[in-house]
Amino acid sequence: MFPANESLAMTFPTLLADLNESFWFPIQGSSFAEEVDWVYDLILYISLAFFIPMMAFMAWCLVKYIKARGTKAESQTSHNTPLELTWSIGPSVLLVWMFVQGSISFLDMRTPPEGSYDVGVQAFKWGWTMDYGNGVFHPELHIVKDEPTKLSMRSTDVIHSLFIPAFRAKKDIVPGRYNYMWFKPTVASEKISDEELAKLKKQSEGATWDYDMHQVTPEGYTFFDLYCTEYCGKNHSEMQTVVVVHETQAELDAWIKANSARGSDVSQEAWGELLYNRRGCAGCHSIDGTKLVGPSFKDLYGSEHPLASGDNVLVDENYVRESIIAPKAKVVAGYQPVMPSYKGQLSDDDIDSIIAFLKSISENAPSEPAAEAESEEESAE
Amino acid sequence: MSNATLPAGARDPGYPTERENYLTNSSGILSWLFTLDHKRIGLMYLVGVMSAFAIGGLLALAIRLHLLDPEGWMFSGAEANNIYNQVFTLHGAIMVFLFIIPSIPAALGNFLVPVMLGAKDVGFPRLNLSSFYLWLFGAFFFVTALFSSGLDTGWTFYTPYSTTTDTSVILATLGAFILGFSSIFTGLNFIVTINTMRPPGMTWFKMPLFLWATYATSIIQVLATPVLGITLLLLIAERTMHIGIFDPEFNGDPVTYQHFFWFYSHPAVYIMILPAFGIISELISVHSHKHIFGYRFIAYSSIAIALLGFLVWGHHMFTAGMSSLTTIVFSALTFTVSVPSAIKVFNWLATMYKGSISLTTPMCYAISFVFLFTIGGLTGLFLGTLATDLHLHDTYFVVAHFHYVMVGGTLIAFLGGVFHWWPKMVGKLYNETHGRIAALLVFLGFNGTFLPQFVLGSRGMPRRYATYDPEFATLHQLSTFGALLLGVGLLYAFIVLMVSLVKGRRAPANPWGGVTLEWQCTSPPPYYNFERPPVVGDPYDFHNLEWDAENERYVTTEPERKLAPESTPEEVPAHAGGQK
Repeated sequence: MFPANESLAMTFPTLLADLNESFWFPIQGSSFAEEVDWVYDLILYISLAFFIPMMAFMAWCLVKYIKARGTKAESQTSHNTPLELTWSIGPSVLLVWMFVQGSISFLDMRTPPEGSYDVGVQAFKWGWTMDYGNGVFHPELHIVKDEPTKLSMRSTDVIHSLFIPAFRAKKDIVPGRYNYMWFKPTVASEKISDEELAKLKKQSEGATWDYDMHQVTPEGYTFFDLYCTEYCGKNHSEMQTVVVVHETQAELDAWIKANSARGSDVSQEAWGELLYNRRGCAGCHSIDGTKLVGPSFKDLYGSEHPLASGDNVLVDENYVRESIIAPKAKVVAGYQPVMPSYKGQLSDDDIDSIIAFLKSISENAPSEPAAEAESEEESAE
Repeated sequence: MSNATLPAGARDPGYPTERENYLTNSSGILSWLFTLDHKRIGLMYLVGVMSAFAIGGLLALAIRLHLLDPEGWMFSGAEANNIYNQVFTLHGAIMVFLFIIPSIPAALGNFLVPVMLGAKDVGFPRLNLSSFYLWLFGAFFFVTALFSSGLDTGWTFYTPYSTTTDTSVILATLGAFILGFSSIFTGLNFIVTINTMRPPGMTWFKMPLFLWATYATSIIQVLATPVLGITLLLLIAERTMHIGIFDPEFNGDPVTYQHFFWFYSHPAVYIMILPAFGIISELISVHSHKHIFGYRFIAYSSIAIALLGFLVWGHHMFTAGMSSLTTIVFSALTFTVSVPSAIKVFNWLATMYKGSISLTTPMCYAISFVFLFTIGGLTGLFLGTLATDLHLHDTYFVVAHFHYVMVGGTLIAFLGGVFHWWPKMVGKLYNETHGRIAALLVFLGFNGTFLPQFVLGSRGMPRRYATYDPEFATLHQLSTFGALLLGVGLLYAFIVLMVSLVKGRRAPANPWGGVTLEWQCTSPPPYYNFERPPVVGDPYDFHNLEWDAENERYVTTEPERKLAPESTPEEVPAHAGGQK
């Protein structure tokens, strides 16, 4: 709680002073932004052109015609058909203009160009998984500047909605169907220096990475916010991720390669912990014993749990693997069957890593491997 | 004494005797609970909707206080987000179903429709009483269900969230279903009353505009509410039997629910706002002492809004993934509704021009209404335009927009109406100075609350967020301080009214100088409203009113209009119970 408050004091003035942002809008980060802002301004100025004279007229009437009680009105004119027709038909012309402008821009935003870079998006309570193909999944959306990008989106539970304010782009994600959206980012993310990043990493050691506080991703990129804007239950407001725009395709490819699998120098426990934070486990399963949407991972491995069906189950490799692939098969008593399946999204090594991570944080796990895991983790750091 | 300064023949109905006064003509709690008098039912509705508003308003304050801090200020602990979600659901559901929809039609409409018509009661007094009890039962059931089960779906019950959440959606939707019947009964009653009980001489175009607005509203209530009822029943069937209409897990389509829901709920927006237009037309004309400008355009535009309102529900779903063609058609239809709404505002302004404006408390609310509703209407253009809606949909811009329409529109008109007809309803005058101060506080507080939210939304702050990014904090805090001021203003207005009951001066029949029929009977009206069918003229013809400064009242000066023939048979309807 406290770090966020500190960051409020720290970041707020700088954000308002940001020259890229206007009073009304976040930064213009995509090719749509200019178009949408233009239509917005068009409507704003037309509205003001009506609102200000109308209110001025009302104020003038109030000044001029407030009379003592009982004074008769100067006029009792009850209608004036030409005047009324004018103010009915005149504004209609402007309305048609707004409608046409809005629709033209809308059609642009609906039709992705041929050969757009395609990223799969899976929305779930309460997180995002972006699918970069070849088994690479990551919660952050990484794309390339000036490259039309198409998102093929699906939801595993309820309706979500993907919204990137900087791109002026939004689309609901309705379970049971694919919804698509596209945009062309025009502003690349910046990367902070390695020293600065190391400093930030040291600050947040032991806690999950706070994007709002640091204003960069754990890899040191500045980012655009990505929100869920269709109400989806308890942690709707936590269902946020970030968009990183890379300067070149090569940079993105390098990033994808780096995130495709566990590197040979990374321990399974460390990789498991990374996946735990990265793939949305942390939203529902605590590691400090707090009861969230799902059972806490603390001391879970090796313990015995009653199931909703009445049986008991020993949490071992088989049960963990099954719960990841088919989460609704054996639901622990007292919890709702709400976890999405990760079938096809985690490699065997990923699942093994998560198991190793669970072992490392459980007192119930066989002691020997746990000790080994700890030492390995240290060496990995 | 003072009559010396007035022309000969000045008429004023004077004050009702205790036996005539509908408030005192029979006593005891049962005489209220079993009353068939539309005025008493209207007053009971007024107490009911104001209580609902108080609950909804406190919940709104809780929401705003929670959002003082990005991490959440009001609620804390592991369940903070859950509590926040339940609170905004409660706030929305109570305000929509228990306050805004019944406020003007059921509370003020019940009191005013028959009196403005010069009728003795509504067409079906028993149906009227039953609609109140349905509302009361529905409200009790609804509030209990909401509070006990902690509903967290939002007032819209969107599927598949509502078919999968473990809170008691069924109880809450049943509550809304019952409330729907109350709404239908009221609408039906008004349609029959206005169609059949107008006095001799009151043609359609001699009707006060409030009646036109009520009539248009009633049409929507009767036609649209059943759709909501069916949708909610389908939702219950989906939850219990998995019939596969809305839930993709059973081959349903969640967007179907949105179509059904908004097919009612968009017209419902006009159930909320059309009666408000009616009130404002009365208020501006009476307090400017000038004939309403463009009577026919205003009357026709009410009907046009009621009809067009049925065609625009799709604009709630521009981002849901409808086909491009459907989306564009809905956008175009949406723009058509803005024309009749704009016409009304222009007409109100023209009515004030060259009038004799009294800056009374009701007029203060009417002026606020014109200001706030114009903002509400103009910001609707940003949401009806497709390109901008994609950015603004489901952000605080939408929250601000519909609060400007519903609170800045309906609530302000409701308050204006209450202050305008309060002397007629209770026979007491309130303190004008304090009334005006309260109106000013409400106006400032309201703008303080919702103006910052337009900026929040444009900058990308999504709605229904329990916690938010720190860069939005300042605007959220401004909004919260505005809400506190608004709360103070509303409380102040309430106190002004309550004090008037105890200390207020006795109200004359016509304190403002209105020409519609309700000002021709005593304040409060006698049990049967009028001794004989009243003389019907142009409801906005102010020529024959004179101000009696000594008694602070308006009197009618033209006695020679033709009265209804004396031979009119004295009607003592069955529900009169032998009393006159």
